[in-house]
Amino acid sequence: MSLRYPLIRQTSLQLFAFYCCSVSSMTISAQSLQDGIYTAIQAERGAEEYAARCASCHSTDLRGNSNSPSLIGLSFMFIWEGKTLGELFHKMSTEMPTESPGSLSMQSYASILAFILRSNDFPAGDTDLAASADALASIPISSN
Amino acid sequence: MKIKTFSILTAMLCIFTSQSYSQILDFDAVTDAMLQNPPDEEWLSWRGTPKSWGYSGLDQINTDNVGNLQLVWSWAIDDTGSGQAAPLVHNGVMFIPGPRGVIQALDAANGDLIWEYRPGITPSIDGTDLEISAEKLGDAALPTTAYAGVGRGVQKNIALYGEMIYSATENASIRALDARTGLLVWESQTADPGLGYFYTAGPIVANGVLVTGITGCERYKEDVCFYTGHDPLTGEELWRFATVAAPGTPGGDTWGDLPLRFRAGGDSWQAGSYDPDLNLVYMGTSQAKPWARAVRGTDGDALYTNSTIALDPNTGDMSWYYQHLPGETHDMDETFESVLVDIDGRESIFKMGKLAILWQLDRRSGEIIKATDVGYQTIVNVNPVNGNVTYRDGMIPRIGQQIDMCPSTSGFKSWRAMAYSPQTQAMYIPITLNCELATFGPTEQVLGGGGVGPVRRINYPHHDAEENLGELLVLDIPSGEVKWRYRQRAPINSAALTTAGGLVIVGDWNRYYYALDAETGEKLWQTRTTTSAQGFPISYMIDGRQYIAMPAGVGGASWSGMLPRDLAPELSRPRNGNSINVFALPTD
Repeated sequence: MSLRYPLIRQTSLQLFAFYCCSVSSMTISAQSLQDGIYTAIQAERGAEEYAARCASCHSTDLRGNSNSPSLIGLSFMFIWEGKTLGELFHKMSTEMPTESPGSLSMQSYASILAFILRSNDFPAGDTDLAASADALASIPISSN
Repeated sequence: MKIKTFSILTAMLCIFTSQSYSQILDFDAVTDAMLQNPPDEEWLSWRGTPKSWGYSGLDQINTDNVGNLQLVWSWAIDDTGSGQAAPLVHNGVMFIPGPRGVIQALDAANGDLIWEYRPGITPSIDGTDLEISAEKLGDAALPTTAYAGVGRGVQKNIALYGEMIYSATENASIRALDARTGLLVWESQTADPGLGYFYTAGPIVANGVLVTGITGCERYKEDVCFYTGHDPLTGEELWRFATVAAPGTPGGDTWGDLPLRFRAGGDSWQAGSYDPDLNLVYMGTSQAKPWARAVRGTDGDALYTNSTIALDPNTGDMSWYYQHLPGETHDMDETFESVLVDIDGRESIFKMGKLAILWQLDRRSGEIIKATDVGYQTIVNVNPVNGNVTYRDGMIPRIGQQIDMCPSTSGFKSWRAMAYSPQTQAMYIPITLNCELATFGPTEQVLGGGGVGPVRRINYPHHDAEENLGELLVLDIPSGEVKWRYRQRAPINSAALTTAGGLVIVGDWNRYYYALDAETGEKLWQTRTTTSAQGFPISYMIDGRQYIAMPAGVGGASWSGMLPRDLAPELSRPRNGNSINVFALPTD
């Protein structure tokens, strides 16, 4: 009998831990583009990287050209709404720049993505955008 | 060939580099007559002659001995953008256009550098004190770590005329260099690059006039795409032809009620051809923008998009136009090369766009002679006699509604130019086989907006291709019947070159170049280059030895990026490797 109580306690602790993890993961999954998921400084770094590595195709105003899609406004959201920030980060970090895919650091891709979010009027916050597709996989791209 | 070496050290050069320059002493001025009938030993126009056959009359390298080809020299071209070089050869010198406006002159027999022109470090204009400021350089002044990408920075072809070399730049300028020294002689900006304008195709020379078409015309703005004629000596703009019909002008009603600011497209991103007997230049235009009718707000024909246009090079007056795809609505360009071939005495033009329909037009009148659909596309029905095109049921896109179409928006055919062989009377056409589930989306109809319009895109292999993406399609001319096909997994990625040695030279995305028997398609030789075969192979002869130059390059837009990545993911290529690779038979 003396063993049952500790077992119950252990189970309760496990349930509590599961609950905490669930709440934690729910918190992450509930994260949205409106929550300030990048910093202004990061977006500023991204603006410089964008000018050097992206603008010659996607244009300085992010509206793209015949071969490079717009990264701003209606056209951007038409392509990406309903997908996740992780998918966008994965595409950037594996396919861009088209002349030299994957040639930037993960931090650079994250900064450029922060700049794209700022350019689409999503708010800045206190924490840098994570530099990994996995970490961004649960953040939906939505204009709401 | 005589060259003289001297050093230029200026304050500007001290900042960046100290560099040694040479100049070409024996340089024969290039005349109109030479351009029209170049000796077989030379390659004076981007496709060999103004007829754009991509054919060399040399036969030292032929079907019997091509298996002995050896590398003679190679040269790395800058990796600051996509390599799509169309080299020229004159007086034993090869002139190579590289990304971002760089032009280099090399000894074509051994690859020694003679001079190079680099925007930003070229110190002065032919002995004057005039320097080029960073402000004038625009994007070219970006750090060398910047990548020009699929848009700006591409430099396909250059032109030789007189004692100068002419190019068209990523900053919407026409440039003239002294062919002996590589020093800038004049520069004439034709449009504001800040509005999106840039060049990827260079000028051609027609009856003493530089004729050039501009691209980057997808944004909504108060002006439209155009061709220009320039005085080669002074850079003065002699005329300008708008490729989009304005309201109130002939053809202006084909855009519905759209004001000029919302009429976009009609770009030119492949150089033209020239018939000196008719004194007509033949240029192509791309589709209207945004790509889909529903997005651009009119189902009108949208003149003069997706057309072949015949112009008087001296006045810019249009002699005729032929619109291949009126009111085009899937991004199916028809802007590519015009191949001029006489058939039974009738002057003809052969063209092919993304749909892989071979068009034969009368180049005197623009009348359609024949339209041959090779049967790969699923979008339109085309009348082979009168060329009329109608869209198949359900194939006109609506916003947000997915359609299943072949080809994808990348097209079966692209700027990888086809070549004609008078020996076999056949056209050799680089093709990529592909299809797409496409969903076209909206754009903002505001000044500065527009663009091509977004497309949710899922690429898939063509139904009839058995996982092959690459094809060299060979069509008998003028019947349009398939003579033979060469198919393989990797996309065919270079322009084609035919030779009097009975060969066709072409390369693929997987770094191979091939020599095939032009009659049978038998593969006779292959080699592997630094990165994807890309650009325009050429042939020339120096001191009795024939050479074949094969360019390789990165980039190249969705044909070379998205399609192989999505549909042949097991293939890979290096991130860098723009280069020229020159082959010849052993001398022993």
